[in-house]
Amino acid sequence: MADIAFEQTTATASRTPGSRTSRRRLDRFDRGFAVLTQAAAIAVLLILAGVLFSLLRGSWLAFSTFGFGFLIDQSWNPVTDRYGAAAAIFGTVVTAVIAMVMAVPVGLGIAVFLTEICPYALRRPLGIAIELLAGIPSIIYGIWGLFVFAPFVQTRIEPALIATFGHLPVLSDVFAGPPYGIGVFTAGVILGIMVLPFVTSVSRDVFETVPPVLKEAAYGIGSTRWEVIRNVVIPYTRTGVVGGVMLGLGRALGETMAVTFVIGNAHKISASILAPGTTISASIANEFTEAVGDLYTSSLIALGLILFVITFVVLAFARLMLMRIDRRKGA
Amino acid sequence: MSAVVPSLPNLPVKVAIKNLSFFYGDTVALKKVSLPLYANSVTAFIGPSGCGKSTLLRVLNRMYDLYPRQRAEGEVLLDNVNILDPAQDLNALRSRVGMVFQKPTPFPMSIYDNIAFGIKLFERLPKSELDGRVEKALRGAALWNEVSGKLGASGLSLSGGQQQRLCIARTVAISPEVILLDEPCSALDPISTARVEELIDELKLQFTIVIVTHSMQQAARVSDRTAFMYLGELIEFDETKKVFTSPAKQQTQDYVTGRFG
Amino acid sequence: MEPTKLSTLPGSREPSALQAARKRRSAIWLFFCCLATAFGLTWLVLILGSLFWNGFSGLSGDVFTQMTPPPGSAGGLLNAVYGSVVMTGLGVLVGTPIGILAGTYMAEYGRYARLTVVVRFINDILLSAPSIIIGLFVYEILVAPMGHFSGIAGAVALAFIVVPIVARTTEDMLLLVPNPLREAASAMGLPRAHVILKVAYKAARAGMITGVLLAVARVSGETAPLLFTALNNQFWSQDLNAPMASLPTVIFQFALSPYKEWQGLAWTGALIITLTVLTLSITARVLGATRISK
Repeated sequence: MADIAFEQTTATASRTPGSRTSRRRLDRFDRGFAVLTQAAAIAVLLILAGVLFSLLRGSWLAFSTFGFGFLIDQSWNPVTDRYGAAAAIFGTVVTAVIAMVMAVPVGLGIAVFLTEICPYALRRPLGIAIELLAGIPSIIYGIWGLFVFAPFVQTRIEPALIATFGHLPVLSDVFAGPPYGIGVFTAGVILGIMVLPFVTSVSRDVFETVPPVLKEAAYGIGSTRWEVIRNVVIPYTRTGVVGGVMLGLGRALGETMAVTFVIGNAHKISASILAPGTTISASIANEFTEAVGDLYTSSLIALGLILFVITFVVLAFARLMLMRIDRRKGA
Repeated sequence: MSAVVPSLPNLPVKVAIKNLSFFYGDTVALKKVSLPLYANSVTAFIGPSGCGKSTLLRVLNRMYDLYPRQRAEGEVLLDNVNILDPAQDLNALRSRVGMVFQKPTPFPMSIYDNIAFGIKLFERLPKSELDGRVEKALRGAALWNEVSGKLGASGLSLSGGQQQRLCIARTVAISPEVILLDEPCSALDPISTARVEELIDELKLQFTIVIVTHSMQQAARVSDRTAFMYLGELIEFDETKKVFTSPAKQQTQDYVTGRFG
Repeated sequence: MEPTKLSTLPGSREPSALQAARKRRSAIWLFFCCLATAFGLTWLVLILGSLFWNGFSGLSGDVFTQMTPPPGSAGGLLNAVYGSVVMTGLGVLVGTPIGILAGTYMAEYGRYARLTVVVRFINDILLSAPSIIIGLFVYEILVAPMGHFSGIAGAVALAFIVVPIVARTTEDMLLLVPNPLREAASAMGLPRAHVILKVAYKAARAGMITGVLLAVARVSGETAPLLFTALNNQFWSQDLNAPMASLPTVIFQFALSPYKEWQGLAWTGALIITLTVLTLSITARVLGATRISK
């Protein structure tokens, strides 16, 4: 026994010097790795800071020339070198609103269908299909809009809208026309189709956070399916749904390619949603490489800054909402 | 505690379970279970985990209908009507057979609305009468004194024991005939448990009560009759006193004396 | 006034008008939900249908062997496909390590740090920020100082899009690794870095690969950030320091042109991108599914 113990000690002792240096090397490696990961995390912050800084610097010329009037001026004239963001902001907001008016009710409806009505065998495949569709690049929606949807809108939908609303006050202005096929309405609808899978998949995810026993309790007092959805599922997930909708809104506001093809790129504010218009991102995409002169370029970057601020606020709000429902799920 | 008389008064059978088998997909969870549930008395289902006692409970209000690949065979007669009939109106059934769950399940709304929601499903009442019904239900669940000042507060703001009594009040408020309790005290502290047990004693004056419990002491304290189940089969069903003092089957004896399970 | 009714007695629950109304309302709303699903799916089927219809006819060997043609003549998309592959590859190559390291910090070293809360929040915003903004940013920091558009600038723009995606999935996957596994490794005397590299990464590998695949899928269809970084190039070019073609920008240019051949190539390009993205996302899902089923 004593012999064995002795041997073990010496064995350990003889290993010690080597192991101490390698231990030190390990420690240095460990600290190095920790610092590296932290640097990468900080790099994420630097990306955002860099974006903000470069947009501020790039837009400085435009803002110092036009002041805050830039935000409310709707002229956009490369010849006289006079620019204002109002038309682009207006178009951005209006297309996003049209998109959300279409995508939110439909998306929530589909999410309800997927979580509460759909036969079990179809739930997974349909859910996967929706998620795959959410990943299809926006340029696909754009090219489809240009070649397929816009001609259809021009020959079928817009004449019908003009005929239906043409005699009513206010609405006759909103749906005034000639039917171009290309314009704010078409862009809004395509945006709506594009954000639909987003709204659907986020809503479906938050609907699934409702504990089954809570739904059972509601069924247990004799609620109908709709009453369970209306009084338990939706109130329970309200913040998450709002977050999902805001996330979709953030997408719709910043989306470029689905809109650029079909909006018509006209820097003016029309009462009619059938008229051509523009959005911030479409203006930048269409004009940036052709912009001649520092002020023109700077004005486009200023548009970018405005878009960045708007989407930042919307997305930040969306994330705060979604974080609240995540926390509850964890609890 | 039930009276210490050798035999319980002869009460009418409210629910008759006949040859009930239950399947989760291809797995058999209940095998030809038959037993009566008597009106105005408390029946306890006991047995080790997985014995099918909760499954049996969930058949009584057809809760299993919410899930795919779950089905029941046999008959469950509520006042002589087979509730397993596919044509059975589930909303109506569930309004007659209420259920309280293991964990408290307050709805995401105010205390008042938690009660009023259920009432409004079945009756259109003027506000004053609705207030009265809510108060009556909360008094019935011995919760009124604790919450009368904050009916507008969220149901989730209550303690676990209060939440569970709120759920009982919610169930009672729609005046069901049968109340199913699925381990209603397993998430509660001893004081809250005692409150709920007292409540059960009062509720049986009006309702037929079925309770699934893990605690044999609880079954002995609150129930008039006890069904001991094991591996999906009903092993023994008798008056609680008899099941716990002189059971007919060896398995029951082993379980109630703590030799297994 | 009618005398108020006593509460319903047990057993006397008749099917009333109220009950019928409730059922009807439920049925109507559920019908609307089904209608919404049909409506949504119709659009998506229409889009995919016309994409296949218009894209398949142009899908031939020429597409992958010929350069983009001048207006009015036939050709292929070889230079665009090449540019897309190179810039996507470079972007992912640069963005992935940064994303993985950032995700590692959030899930491991900095799990309880205040910095993590801030980084996670900002990262989530970058995740859905408009990609055209990233294009402007890279224009400002690379294209303007260099004085010309370049494939490098395009790759960098794509890398900025990759980072938040990979960071997010890495963090999520590492958080799923059970703590006892880390504790067991630490108990053997492994330093933290080794616990992460040898144990945590190995456990989270499938999920992390999923994240990278999703990032590839996302950037391979990105158009807006390339428009004024890599610009476009009508000709074959391997020079990363010069403007470079890519599928999305070629689609953008060709679709808006009046030439039939160009429009046809735009459809074909769109089909190629869609098939690539779908393949990548399905692969990612399959990998993700094996992780979950384990």
